[in-house]
Amino acid sequence: MGLFSGRKTVHVDSDILVIGGGMAGCGATYESRYWGRDLKIVCVEKANIERSGAVAQGLYAINCYMGMQWDENQPEDHVRYARNDLMGLVREDLGYDIARHVDSTVHKFEEWGLPIMKDPETGQYLREGKWQIMIHGESYKPIVAEAARKAATKVYNRIMVTHLLMDKTKPNRVAGAVGFNVRTGDFYVFRAKAVIVGAGGASHIFKPRSAGEGMGRTWYAPWSSASAYALPIQVGAKMMQMENRIVLTRFKDGYGPVGAYFLHLKTYTENAYGDEYESKWYENTKELVGDYIDRHPVPTCLRNHAILEEIKAGRGPIRMVTKEAFKDPHLETVGWENFLGMTIGQAVVWASQNIDPKHTNPELTTSEPYVMGSHATCSGAWASGPEDCAPADYQWGYNRMMTVDGLFGAGDTIGGTAHKFSSGSFAEGRIAAKAAVNYVNDLGSDQPRVSEQEYQDLEKVVFQPMENYRVGRNEIVAGTVSPSYLLPIQGLQRLEKIMDEYVGGISSHYTTNEPLLTRGLELLGMLKEDMAHIGAEDLHQLQRTWELQHRVLASESVAHHTMFRKETRWPGYYYRGDHMKLDDDDWHCFTLSQYDQESGKWELEKAPVHHIID
Amino acid sequence: MTRCDGCGECVDICPSDIMHIDKTYRRAYNIEPNFCWECYSCVKACPQHAIDVRGYAEFAPMGHSVRVLREEEKHTISWKIKFRNGQEKNFVSPIRTTEWGSIKSPSDYEAPSPDALKAQELAHEPESLHIDALPTLPVQKN
Amino acid sequence: MQTYIVVMILMVVGGTLFETLHKGSAKYFFDNWRKSKSKGSQQVGAGKLVSLAIQTGLADVLTSAEFCTARRRIAHLMTMYGFVVYVATTAIMVFGYPTPDSPTPAFLPQLWWLGGLLVCIGGYWFWFFIRVDVSAEGNSPFRIVRADLFILSLLASVTAGLIWAYLQARGSSMTDVFLGLYLIATTVLFGSVPWSKFSHMFFKPAAAFEKRVSDANGSRSNLPEPADKPKLYGSTRELPRHY
Repeated sequence: MGLFSGRKTVHVDSDILVIGGGMAGCGATYESRYWGRDLKIVCVEKANIERSGAVAQGLYAINCYMGMQWDENQPEDHVRYARNDLMGLVREDLGYDIARHVDSTVHKFEEWGLPIMKDPETGQYLREGKWQIMIHGESYKPIVAEAARKAATKVYNRIMVTHLLMDKTKPNRVAGAVGFNVRTGDFYVFRAKAVIVGAGGASHIFKPRSAGEGMGRTWYAPWSSASAYALPIQVGAKMMQMENRIVLTRFKDGYGPVGAYFLHLKTYTENAYGDEYESKWYENTKELVGDYIDRHPVPTCLRNHAILEEIKAGRGPIRMVTKEAFKDPHLETVGWENFLGMTIGQAVVWASQNIDPKHTNPELTTSEPYVMGSHATCSGAWASGPEDCAPADYQWGYNRMMTVDGLFGAGDTIGGTAHKFSSGSFAEGRIAAKAAVNYVNDLGSDQPRVSEQEYQDLEKVVFQPMENYRVGRNEIVAGTVSPSYLLPIQGLQRLEKIMDEYVGGISSHYTTNEPLLTRGLELLGMLKEDMAHIGAEDLHQLQRTWELQHRVLASESVAHHTMFRKETRWPGYYYRGDHMKLDDDDWHCFTLSQYDQESGKWELEKAPVHHIID
Repeated sequence: MTRCDGCGECVDICPSDIMHIDKTYRRAYNIEPNFCWECYSCVKACPQHAIDVRGYAEFAPMGHSVRVLREEEKHTISWKIKFRNGQEKNFVSPIRTTEWGSIKSPSDYEAPSPDALKAQELAHEPESLHIDALPTLPVQKN
Repeated sequence: MQTYIVVMILMVVGGTLFETLHKGSAKYFFDNWRKSKSKGSQQVGAGKLVSLAIQTGLADVLTSAEFCTARRRIAHLMTMYGFVVYVATTAIMVFGYPTPDSPTPAFLPQLWWLGGLLVCIGGYWFWFFIRVDVSAEGNSPFRIVRADLFILSLLASVTAGLIWAYLQARGSSMTDVFLGLYLIATTVLFGSVPWSKFSHMFFKPAAAFEKRVSDANGSRSNLPEPADKPKLYGSTRELPRHY
């Protein structure tokens, strides 16, 4: 805040606006500069780009690397892998596009200074698994942020983007965004010719297993507040597969990663009595999904399904058998550093409970559901594919452009692109950026213009929660109970309870059905109305308010999609109690949705899945 | 508490916006532990090593300690884990192989040609792929 | 005047003792000291302790070494030494040259002015620009909270004192007004010790000493040892103000 000023409106003009400074946003910023030497490239980030996003604490592995230089994998292989894991439903063109570019991204990371572990004999990257390589990635994010800062005209930190702005001269074309500065409270109006959304997916839309202080220990970052979805949804961009939420089997309470354990330490799971259990559920699973259970590797959701069935049968908890592996000091080091470089909280949990995997086989659990687009799941925006290999009906404009002109996406934002992880998200940011530069160049004099009325109206909307608190506060003596406003945490807990009980969270064993979904949507509707009455005490709470707003809109989308798909495509992620089986006859397709802000209505439709790779 | 001298590094770095300044001491504290990911960004950023993490009370018994020393000038990160029962583990890892600030700006590369702008190759491709050419698929007939 | 100064000193001592005893900060400090000693891998002998105390005094106290950025360190040194000189010369003038019969040597008021001005420069610079809740958190410099009690009463006291001295030299009719303000601000400064950050100026050196001892005895507050690698690469630490 200035010495004597109140709230200012700051106008920022750019050619390309990158929303979100995570892996995808940093990739987009870097690549935009390469192709647009004279363009104004602005990156806007809710936190501090140095440690923002899901890679804040670092990573211990890069989970998407082909190794084409050593003939380890080809891009087509990765498409088959992702397709298999997602029970057949991925955008093969987008996935292929990422897979063919990701190696160059990883090589640049190494060049920039990311320590990648090497096999001492061959000198090649040390493989954790078929797609994964091991890194010392504690400073992964600072390194990548440095590349973005070198490229951007300017990086704006601590500014939360709340809404996109649309072109007032042409329908269905983006023209910028608005947001507020979390430190100074200034209102920001971004005008841009093209916008690339690289914001976060959705944590905290389902009630987490730990609901007290432990609420913070979500699997996906708590600051992934579904802005990747809410921003495009609001302006009518089509979304895909929003029902495809992911449930993760991870170490208990800390949600520490198991990848290195399975792949490098070669550990395995067993039930509470020390027995193998997965094969017991083969027939049961086959009845639900048919031949999909015979695929190799077994799809992630089906492995979850076996765990859930075993636990329901009363033979939990499921444990990771580590005692053998941890006898090897090298593997023991990997087992611990795996957490320290990626999920420190798991090391804290084990230290606090005296769990030494040399002497104890630690407990696993299945997490609450998350909705995101860069892991073993692919919810997100429906985007146009690469010109050289996308099928005709997957291509209507520039690569990674959504169904709104000039609106591009990367990372969690884009649907259908499972298993891209950090490197793939960065690569996708680069892909979107190059396309956005072309789009901007092609615009010529036909530039989008923002409506002053629109952003002035939005300014009132953005800061209304602070006004609600300021005025409503006069009604009560003190405390958290007000008849006229809801605190952001109260709204969040209500959202999480609705999603948990009606849309397939942990308390219902991830199961829902049409009556539950109908009721859930009613309750979400009332929550949405109450969102006009959130009271934000200060700018921090205002950020929490807008995170909640984005989460609520994304949750509505999730509920509608879950209702629309009348099958259980991913048992182990969620179940439709009224349509328990996988149904390839009717549902080997994508679900698409479009939201109309004016009417509040959702339109859902199917889209064909084209298999361009055999 | 006394180790904190109110420098603001943790406030500046926290991805969750939960490290803020106390009104009585003008020092930093975690205002919302239920939105804390235990990412340790603040811990690593504190020049006084004044920040320590106590595992989530909801499931972490007391008496443990996981502390870190991130030494940028040495390109190392060192961890000391102390179990509740006193057992200790120590780890040291590299964090970077190049100098801080040494990344070449994309503008420093030769500007791409208009043809390159229209092709599928991204910056530094195909060289940085370490193979001859960017893979592509034959166009599908739908 | 002399009585007043003695009362102020007693208030500081009393306030600090109250703080340490009633709030238990002394007990906490000594409990922590004992814990660190028992967890330490090696004994720290008396001679080593003295040497660490001297190091603490020289580095942390005399040169404010704990401050990690140049501007914070400089502002603190100005304010600290300014205050020491200002208080010392006040005491010397009040006790050494109390009446017009014993005229004050000219250098003393000059030093008094210098000290006061240093406090004002360092202090106002801190107040408007360096304060973490303003610079890193983005609050307005006019937002006042309890943590500001010490610095504001210090600045009020010194500012009022300087103005009073200036007006007195010019024979102004407003002199007594500013003497009154000066006395009020000074009383608040020294009287509010149990509620302000004043006593932390004594806690800080104690904590700095304790830290050196815990590094020496191997407990290091559970921190890992520094890595056995050379310092080849710089750091890119910037001012924590990225917004």
